[in-house]
Amino acid sequence: MSNIFSGINARLRGTSSKAGSARSPISPISDDGRLNTPGAVPRKSKSSANLSSSSASLSSRVLPLPASPALSQTISMTSTGDEILHSYRLPTPLPMWLNPAHAKHIVKGNFMTLSARPKSVDQGEWVAHQVVEHYRNLWNFVQVVYENEADGKSICTATTCPRMSAGPNHSYTWLNARFEPIELPAIEYIALMQRWISGKVDDTKMFPTDAAGISFSHHPNIANTALLSGPDEWVGKRSGFPKEFHSICQTIFLQMFRVYSHLYWAHFVEPFYHLNLEKQLNSCFSHFLLTATALDMLKPPALEPMQPLLDLWAANGTFPPESKAYEYANVKAGTRLLQLGGMS
Amino acid sequence: MNSFEFAAAPLRCPEAYGPNANLNQKRCYQLAQEFFKGGARRARERHGREQELIRRLEGPASQPMREQLWAYEGLSESKYLRFLRTKEELSNYTTIKTIGKGYFGEVKLVRKKQDGGVYALKRLVKTEMVSTGQLPRVRAERDAMAESESVWVVKLHTTFQDSTSLYLLMEFLPGGDLMGLLIKYQIFSEDITRFYAAEMIMAIEAIHSLGFVHRDIKPDNILLDQYGHIKLADFGLSKSSRKDHDSSYYRELLQRPGSSSQAPNRNSVNIDEISLTVSNRAQINTWRQCRRLMAHSTVGTPDYIAPELLAGQGYSFEIDWWSLGTIIYECLVGWAPFASDNPTDTYTKIINWPQTFFFPDDIRLHPTAINLIQSLIRNPEARLGRVAGAAELKAHPFFAGVDFTSLRRISAPFRPHLASDTDTSCFPVDELPQGEGFGNGGGGGGDGDRPPATAAGGGGGGEGGLVTPDMVLPFIGYTFKRFEKSFM
Repeated sequence: MSNIFSGINARLRGTSSKAGSARSPISPISDDGRLNTPGAVPRKSKSSANLSSSSASLSSRVLPLPASPALSQTISMTSTGDEILHSYRLPTPLPMWLNPAHAKHIVKGNFMTLSARPKSVDQGEWVAHQVVEHYRNLWNFVQVVYENEADGKSICTATTCPRMSAGPNHSYTWLNARFEPIELPAIEYIALMQRWISGKVDDTKMFPTDAAGISFSHHPNIANTALLSGPDEWVGKRSGFPKEFHSICQTIFLQMFRVYSHLYWAHFVEPFYHLNLEKQLNSCFSHFLLTATALDMLKPPALEPMQPLLDLWAANGTFPPESKAYEYANVKAGTRLLQLGGMS
Repeated sequence: MNSFEFAAAPLRCPEAYGPNANLNQKRCYQLAQEFFKGGARRARERHGREQELIRRLEGPASQPMREQLWAYEGLSESKYLRFLRTKEELSNYTTIKTIGKGYFGEVKLVRKKQDGGVYALKRLVKTEMVSTGQLPRVRAERDAMAESESVWVVKLHTTFQDSTSLYLLMEFLPGGDLMGLLIKYQIFSEDITRFYAAEMIMAIEAIHSLGFVHRDIKPDNILLDQYGHIKLADFGLSKSSRKDHDSSYYRELLQRPGSSSQAPNRNSVNIDEISLTVSNRAQINTWRQCRRLMAHSTVGTPDYIAPELLAGQGYSFEIDWWSLGTIIYECLVGWAPFASDNPTDTYTKIINWPQTFFFPDDIRLHPTAINLIQSLIRNPEARLGRVAGAAELKAHPFFAGVDFTSLRRISAPFRPHLASDTDTSCFPVDELPQGEGFGNGGGGGGDGDRPPATAAGGGGGGEGGLVTPDMVLPFIGYTFKRFEKSFM
């Protein structure tokens, strides 16, 4: 195997290890279901079902597929960038945000410095910090599509976005009080999601703010701070975060990802491009992806709706090669996008 | 087989969106920028602290010492992260006393409920600032105080805001101000004057090194810490070359189609409009008493302002050295060199300073003192400090023998006698209305045990939906939280 494919290899390693279980339509439900949050347990619904049926028709030429494969399995080592892009079953023409000319940023330099945990800080404390920072950021963009004008209309409405979707292949349902999946207009989904997240983030039992409860991380060379490891250990325990903290944060990141995905697929041009905010959106989202993947808060199957943008950002240098986000990306596809945009 | 092409970019058309969307656009644009600016700064500082830790861990420290270093670092970083996550609001503080009052708000001595810390909390009323064009000054004050790590500048711990007000949480300096000392002692010896003048040089140098011109150096802005050493406060008039300190920048932000331009006149100097200074105590000196009262008004005092600033001409760092000259004069003589019954007369005297400036016959001053004052109260081109800044002043014979680097280690001439950490005996609290809290949101109890919420507040993204955009937009980037070594 030539090292030319190292990027692909890395990508396949990244996805295939999780693909087996997480790709099944059931797994996301159980991921979310574990949270047990009445009336507020979102789950992924259509994406998987749609994927298996439509992929055969759209890209049968390059991808002789079995019924329900993991996406990564459809990409072989020898796939070209075009083949990979085809496997994503993107609409034609390609969404504007995949054009490298519009995938640029307001900041230069390595985003990783912003999300690197100070070594002495407990992981739970750092995750909490990142959740709050990214939540503030995301809400800043949501506000633009969410707020009503004097006529009572917002930009994202039940008419413009009758479903919480991220492109043609993915949409998300919300679980009602009886834990039944229901389809909601994006704006309502986002409102419910926001209420759910702020309920968590504002809960000082979940996100303690009392300075008295703090701790610090374990240093491998400083012996007596050694931690127990076992079933009674969890992320953030030392600093007073509850046992379910980690999975709650994973769900928060997943939900925030869905909102970002909706903003890209449904609102990148209207309004963000028109309002000159696309670079701001790109910077906040790429920072979000780098952080969420680095903290293992988001993993490949969930990233699917935005996979081509990940690929592009890996190829154009937004994601440093040592990052998890880069590992999850398909650099070949990204490089192809750069070519298509005349930027290779 | 290549069927890929990108959707064509339309012509950008922001006008197609309503006024709220366009205001949200500005807000979003700025918040994103602030996020990365602040995030990068914090990451840089964090990295620096971590490097320092690593350096010390690699040093000859003993094992228990290394454990302690590690734990200390982890705990202080964590404490800061919690501080960042905590939504600051008025109800986190209880008011102890009002210690100062100005045209735009007031300064209160407060106690933080969570940890019992004592601070000075300055409130500025948003509407007042918008309607009088003071935004750039607030921004300047916040920036100057936020960026400074200097021992010579009053430390800003955090800033926060609600729908009506901006708050600056600052360190409480229990020693009052230089004005209070001058009222009490009327006149200083040359040695005492030398001490305060030397400290003021260090303080002015500190803010100049940040790129700020203070523009409003006066005895009321020279505060005294618990040991009697000085710190500079009230950067309301600080001016740096940044664009967000420019009034026109804020006007543009607030500009809406159809709104008439009621731009404040940038050439007029509204002296002292924002300064929140401590008000008068005793009636020893009627002139000083008037000065104190003036501090509450929009007019303020021009006593210490350089002529080129009053004349609306170009000016630079050297205007602060003029102010220092007038303060040194006042310390030695007993009144400011251009003191008058009313600001207009003072103004006229300063403009015509070559005719109006003189030393009284009955006061004997050392020639070096006279020379120092004369080289500061002088045209800007010839003023001491013009060329090499503070170094020129330090080299003046008046300061012969002064070790500027160890000033803060020597014993100050007047040390406040304080009974507690909330002793306000150095402040004219009796002359200030001691209302409860800040009038809205109730600072003084009754707020129950509502835990400090994390930010990103409700649908309003932190600002709430009831606030008009005018009250939000220009204040973005205002919020600030400082990392303290004292987070332990």
